[in-house]
Amino acid sequence: MWELIQSNRRKSLILFFGMGALLIFIGYVFGSFYDPEAGGAIGVLFAIILWVILSTVSYFAGSKIILAVSGAKEVTKDVHPQLYNVVEEMKIAAGVPYFPKIYIIDDPSPNAFATGVKPENSAIAVTSGLLATLNRYELQGVVAHEMSHIINRDILLMTFAGVMLGVITIMSDVFFRGMYFGGGSRYRSRSSSKSSGQGQVIIMILAMLLAVLGPILAQLFYFAISRKREYLADASAARLTRYPEGLANALEKIANSSHKLRSANKVTAPMYIVNPLKREGMKLADLTSTHPPISERIKILRSLQQGVSYKDYQKVFEMIHGKKEKIIPDSALKESIPVAPVSGLANEGIDFNPVEAKREANDAVMKLNDYKFINCKCGVKIKIPPEYNNQIVVCPRCGTKHQLS
Amino acid sequence: MDCPVCNKPMIILELNKVEIDYCPNCSGIWLDEGELELLYSIDKSENDLRKLFEPTESEKEKSYKCPICNKRMVKTKFNNSDLIIDKCPDNHGFWFDKGELDKVLSLNANTSAQKVLSILKEMFSYNKSQEAE
Amino acid sequence: MIYFIIFLAVIVLIILFFVSIYNALIRLRNQVKNAWAQIDVQLKRRHDLIPNLIETVKGYMTHERQIMENITKYRSQAMNAQTVGEKAQAESLLSGALGQLRVQVENYPDLKANQNFLALQEELTATENKISFARQNYNDQVLMYNNKIQMFPSNIVAGMFNFKEEEFFEIKDVAEKEVPKVSFN
Repeated sequence: MWELIQSNRRKSLILFFGMGALLIFIGYVFGSFYDPEAGGAIGVLFAIILWVILSTVSYFAGSKIILAVSGAKEVTKDVHPQLYNVVEEMKIAAGVPYFPKIYIIDDPSPNAFATGVKPENSAIAVTSGLLATLNRYELQGVVAHEMSHIINRDILLMTFAGVMLGVITIMSDVFFRGMYFGGGSRYRSRSSSKSSGQGQVIIMILAMLLAVLGPILAQLFYFAISRKREYLADASAARLTRYPEGLANALEKIANSSHKLRSANKVTAPMYIVNPLKREGMKLADLTSTHPPISERIKILRSLQQGVSYKDYQKVFEMIHGKKEKIIPDSALKESIPVAPVSGLANEGIDFNPVEAKREANDAVMKLNDYKFINCKCGVKIKIPPEYNNQIVVCPRCGTKHQLS
Repeated sequence: MDCPVCNKPMIILELNKVEIDYCPNCSGIWLDEGELELLYSIDKSENDLRKLFEPTESEKEKSYKCPICNKRMVKTKFNNSDLIIDKCPDNHGFWFDKGELDKVLSLNANTSAQKVLSILKEMFSYNKSQEAE
Repeated sequence: MIYFIIFLAVIVLIILFFVSIYNALIRLRNQVKNAWAQIDVQLKRRHDLIPNLIETVKGYMTHERQIMENITKYRSQAMNAQTVGEKAQAESLLSGALGQLRVQVENYPDLKANQNFLALQEELTATENKISFARQNYNDQVLMYNNKIQMFPSNIVAGMFNFKEEEFFEIKDVAEKEVPKVSFN
């Protein structure tokens, strides 16, 4: 497992500097386009400053920004005990010393993501819709998947990749705006002076190409890494819970949900366990999809009959995918101990009641919004909104007067 | 959510996994359509509660606004009785003011409404006993 | 002279090799201990929850005295158990009895509506899951440690410094899994 983390860290670094170099190159080309003499240097400077600022911000506050943009609120155990317990269960299963912070997003669409730079200050966010639709084992699968993103250090990689995507998009945007507002006229005056010849033409073509293709390539690149991460996190989740059916059922329920996630956008979308920006009837979506097709992920999980080790996942993946492709890093494949799935869980299905799950999810959202809860001894549960300004509530069933402090 | 009558915040009561909104000020209740659907989904029985209501003209009472969509609610007759309650035109739910609730609780309706009634009777047993005295 | 240096270098290399094996063994043994501590915490948590549970359930479940007596009995047995094997044995019995209780709860709708009981049940379920996940982690660690002790050449170092194989923590699932099936048929 350690090698896997190391390899991911290395990838993060390569990505970080590789993308940095690419940025500088783009900055140079764009700069030279406007001014062959000094523009290159200015462009490089601009790119470096942008890169440094955005990397610093994303390193220190990236997860906070992402959580805030998604409308996630941090919760304590009493808001949703089951969610808290499930996260703790996965922490124990993974045998890791850190405990991610838990966030709930008030949104009926079921989904979840993990964020953070270091595992020590990572966070797992789930929507209230997820809590309302999943039973305990399915929730376990989803939390295990997110926990795996944290353990495998995917979160750092994804944060940086997201930032790079953002920077490249901004730069090409700036380039086009510059062209629109005056680059053209400057270019004309230069070409009439005929100071530069062929070199200038090459720079021009290169700049246009980069401006158009840069964001697309960055996006494809971003998608390519996140796609592999999803399979790997599914494999880790199956290994942690030893019950792939839980995650498979959860993915199925999430995919079948008709709700659309309100707060998702292009940059946060790849972070979710299931892509929230689903658009019907789009072929291109398959090509640029941040996530592998859900049906395939479910099929792989359901085919993990003999074992749930990484080796088994890789084998089943190749069987279902129909071609050889390394999804699991070599170091994880070397794992020597056999990992058998759990068969026939003791109390599965007995205590799942969709009405109860929905009620608990709603209660969690109310608690987030500072509602007070009183359990009257007669069995009535009284939920009082923060705007309520009376000091006493009388239970209409038994007449007990409850004093609000 | 604010009470459509007195515009004060209502509290939420939950019993046997069913929630209703209750105004401690005027003792009126709001039955949310989503809640009713949830209640009927427990044993998969059909929610034909809506069929029990028929629109009617009544000028005596002032009509209130739906606390969810703020549209003016329409007066409907309940189960051919003389009871008239407010219903959201977009089916967000039903509003029973105090007197209406008391009447509803003493009704014996058909089986599908019985389910809601029994919960309401349970929930307001103290209020009811107070009135009897 | 040159042979002496080569001889010395070989000796040093061998010593370094053995030291690294020794350190690996120590690390694995510590991981086993640490994993065991995780189980222990959760077992203790379960023992702490039981008196509360019995207290809450007592008023409702009038016909299940036998199950409750069993739970109390197995709990104290589990608390007094010393070795890993003894603990596993006692905890299996306790899990079985708790499983029976869980099945019987279905017959008491009032109990199922009790907020206090629901909260306790969630805690108990969570603790049982935590025990099983901690056990899973512990057994993985024990397997790696025992493999290391048995395999050449680490078995030589293990023999020299008296590293002993650790016991797996197996809760016999038979009792806990078959009971629900019987009552649902």
